[in-house]
Amino acid sequence: MKKLKPGKNNREERMNFVEYWADYVRTHPDEEWSRQQNLLIDSQITTARNTDYLIPKKRK
Amino acid sequence: MEFVSRKVIQLDKLISELDRLVFKFVKVLEKHADYVIVSGYVSILFGRARATEGVDILIEELSEAEVNVFYEDLTNNGFWCLNSGDVKDIYSYLEDGLAVRFAVKGSSIPNFEVKFARKRLSVEALKDVLTVVTRIGKIRVSSIERQIAFKRYYLKSDKDLEDAEHIERVFKGHVDKEKINKYRELISRDEKT
Repeated sequence: MKKLKPGKNNREERMNFVEYWADYVRTHPDEEWSRQQNLLIDSQITTARNTDYLIPKKRK
Repeated sequence: MEFVSRKVIQLDKLISELDRLVFKFVKVLEKHADYVIVSGYVSILFGRARATEGVDILIEELSEAEVNVFYEDLTNNGFWCLNSGDVKDIYSYLEDGLAVRFAVKGSSIPNFEVKFARKRLSVEALKDVLTVVTRIGKIRVSSIERQIAFKRYYLKSDKDLEDAEHIERVFKGHVDKEKINKYRELISRDEKT
């Protein structure tokens, strides 16, 4: 697998990582990439649950 | 992940909390309407390293009575509508071509953005479907070509362009470029009307 190339600006940096990660997903078992991906996704859900108090309890 | 057939993908990923919520919602939805998941969640399902606040779902058109039954089933299964608690409003939004959002009671994200498939491109999306078989069941998502074309030629934000790139690279060797171009033409015609 190709090494990650640093970008010249934020946009290029992001796209380089997108390409790097997509190649990783394609060439690695589902369990391996999803274990890493779930850390990111599950942390969002946990954060959302912890901010439940922000939701009004009654809505019309 | 691997193509079991042209329209079926076997995905052996570990299930995230987001996946569990999506499957929970779809389990209710599929009893009431034909559906297809489009946009961001499809990229995430196929490995994109990002989260999302909303899961976009196109459904076949339903009558007010059918929406009523669907809404009741959703509320009985722990969901609420962020736009209104009155099914008349919910139906009216859908009828006007707007999306309505549902989430697990007590939270607003992630949510499920449901819209009637009305425009020709949306109606076709309901037919051009990939079935993804996971450890917790099956789910219907838009074809990878439609996904790429919409992200790259219609939505076009940095995030969407990244999603399109991700999908195209992950499915290298399985992407029908001619089909992407056909969608591109349809999108361009649709934008002009």
